[in-house]
Amino acid sequence: MAKLLVVDDEANIRLLYAQELTDEGYEVVTAASALEAVEKFRDGSFDLVILDIKLKNESGIDLLQRIVKERHALPVILCTAFSCYKDDFSAWLADGYVVKSSDMQELKDEIQRVLAKKNRAA
Amino acid sequence: MDWECCWSYGEISPEQCPYIGEGEEDLCQSHRRRVVEKCVDCPRFKNDLARMKEMGFPLADVIPYILSEFQEHKAQMGTVLGFLNSKNREFRFLREVGLVLQTSLNLDEVLSVAMTAITAGKGFGMNRAFLLMTDKERQNIKGYLGVGPKDYEEAWRTWDDIGRSKFTLKEMAKNFQKTKLSSEKVKFHDILEQLTVPLSDQGHIFNRALKGKKPILVENALNNPELDRGLARILGVDTFLIMPLISRNRRIGIIIADNCITHKPITLQDMQSLETFAFPVAFALERASLYERLQEEVEKQKLANLKLREQQTLIVKMEKMALVGKITSSIAHSIRNPLMVIGGFARTLLKGTAEKDERRAHLELIVRETKQLEEVLAEVLSYSESLHPVLDLWDVNELVVNSLDELAPALEEAGMHAVRHLSPELPMVRMDYKQIDYCVRAIVSTSLSAMERGGTLKVETLTEGDEVLIRISDDAPPLSESALEALTTPFFVTQQMGEGVGLSLCKTILERHGSNFSVATRPEGGNSYTITLAIRKENP
Repeated sequence: MAKLLVVDDEANIRLLYAQELTDEGYEVVTAASALEAVEKFRDGSFDLVILDIKLKNESGIDLLQRIVKERHALPVILCTAFSCYKDDFSAWLADGYVVKSSDMQELKDEIQRVLAKKNRAA
Repeated sequence: MDWECCWSYGEISPEQCPYIGEGEEDLCQSHRRRVVEKCVDCPRFKNDLARMKEMGFPLADVIPYILSEFQEHKAQMGTVLGFLNSKNREFRFLREVGLVLQTSLNLDEVLSVAMTAITAGKGFGMNRAFLLMTDKERQNIKGYLGVGPKDYEEAWRTWDDIGRSKFTLKEMAKNFQKTKLSSEKVKFHDILEQLTVPLSDQGHIFNRALKGKKPILVENALNNPELDRGLARILGVDTFLIMPLISRNRRIGIIIADNCITHKPITLQDMQSLETFAFPVAFALERASLYERLQEEVEKQKLANLKLREQQTLIVKMEKMALVGKITSSIAHSIRNPLMVIGGFARTLLKGTAEKDERRAHLELIVRETKQLEEVLAEVLSYSESLHPVLDLWDVNELVVNSLDELAPALEEAGMHAVRHLSPELPMVRMDYKQIDYCVRAIVSTSLSAMERGGTLKVETLTEGDEVLIRISDDAPPLSESALEALTTPFFVTQQMGEGVGLSLCKTILERHGSNFSVATRPEGGNSYTITLAIRKENP
């Protein structure tokens, strides 16, 4: 069972992700801030991070860079309300990019794709 | 004594003197004038003098001396009178030329007056004249205008015309400017082309004349070892005058004048007259060409100002648009998260609700409505992003092919087929690839929603002048006027076209690109949508 870390500053969204992705058969852990996320992903047990670009007073992109630096093999999917970051070259560090939508199918497909790629690489 | 000549009579009748011509009848009554003007040259009087000598008249030996002295003085007087007359005429002429030259700011007018003055009989009466002027960069002296007949026949025709006309110099020059200036510029084109000389060529006779600030009379040019024989061959004469045109210390140009038809010698007096004339001509030419350049600069400034004003308006508009974009984007983003939560949980609940549960319909409604709201948001966000295009050089055909390939499944699903007519040689166009791609998709989607199954969509690319066109034509029912208008108004909804910002966004995107978007109904049925992209040579 793949273990996912969802980082989003909004409690309701964390709740929605957790429920939907648990239903999909993933083990889901959530974090509300960059600090919390760092503490959690350090144990090395995660397979994938789903990351919002705008966290309250922090930048998701900064966190992304930190993850890439510290856990090179841990894939990240950026999930955001902004479509414009797609062209931001620092966002290219992420393995996937999904625009937030009530229909979570796109996110689910992306998770599958990224995990399959990770497994192939391993 | 019965003398042969009538010198002894106070009054005579016209028959008595055969040398009194028509119009001179008053001499019959005036003894004194008749003797002075007629008798002194009369052969009969000479015979009378000889008879006087034979008859031993005491003064008969002396009178011939007095007579010959008188005749010599008379001849001298005649020459001086002729000289004065010609000088007088020259002064009047120079005054006339000077007046025009001092007041005119029009280069063509100055040229016409100067060249007419040199070649007209009323002026200096030279057969032909060439004007050479220094170019703008002051590198060369170049043939600019030639005036005069090209051959003997033309010369006579022209002189005959001039002889009959009673025009003043000013009128002649005006007439020349109106009817002949442009044709004369062409007539001597072959000669003028060969007369270019670099100003740095110190040894060339043109530059020698400019340096010495004095006219040079070239004689026997074909056999003069010190001269460039080519020049004589080009002009076709071996005697010509080179007149430098200098205003203050600036070398304006030179005039070459010759008598190629009559081969009349060029006199010292011709040279002096032309020299007097050269200064005002040089000054007027310089002033006129400076004025012309000033006008050009003023025109350029005017255009620049106009462009600046347009840019300012555009900047103000863009600032406003950017602000609107910022506000829209901020509102859209704040709506997106709660919307996602509402829709997301509705979907989750829907999954866990039994097929027969009556709440299912309500949940489905929430999911549907949320989805629609999210679509509107996505369009609003595209709209605000469109306010900042990223311009780069792209191949339009490649863009169209890629967009159509990605749309292929949608076309197939709708049962349509697309025909491509792509111009093989399109220049690269500076544009925002993503945004133009969006436009193509938006147009195709609009067409698809209005067409019936089995319809044909035609996609063309073509060049028209400085523009590349992407034209998409469908065979959907022709759009009404209100629909055409509605298409380009943001967030306008028509029943025919559905809703949203699709095509109005196209218009905004293309406006940002400095390009155009037009929609029209086709005479053969259907509608055509044209994206017009300007080809820019330099960076915008």
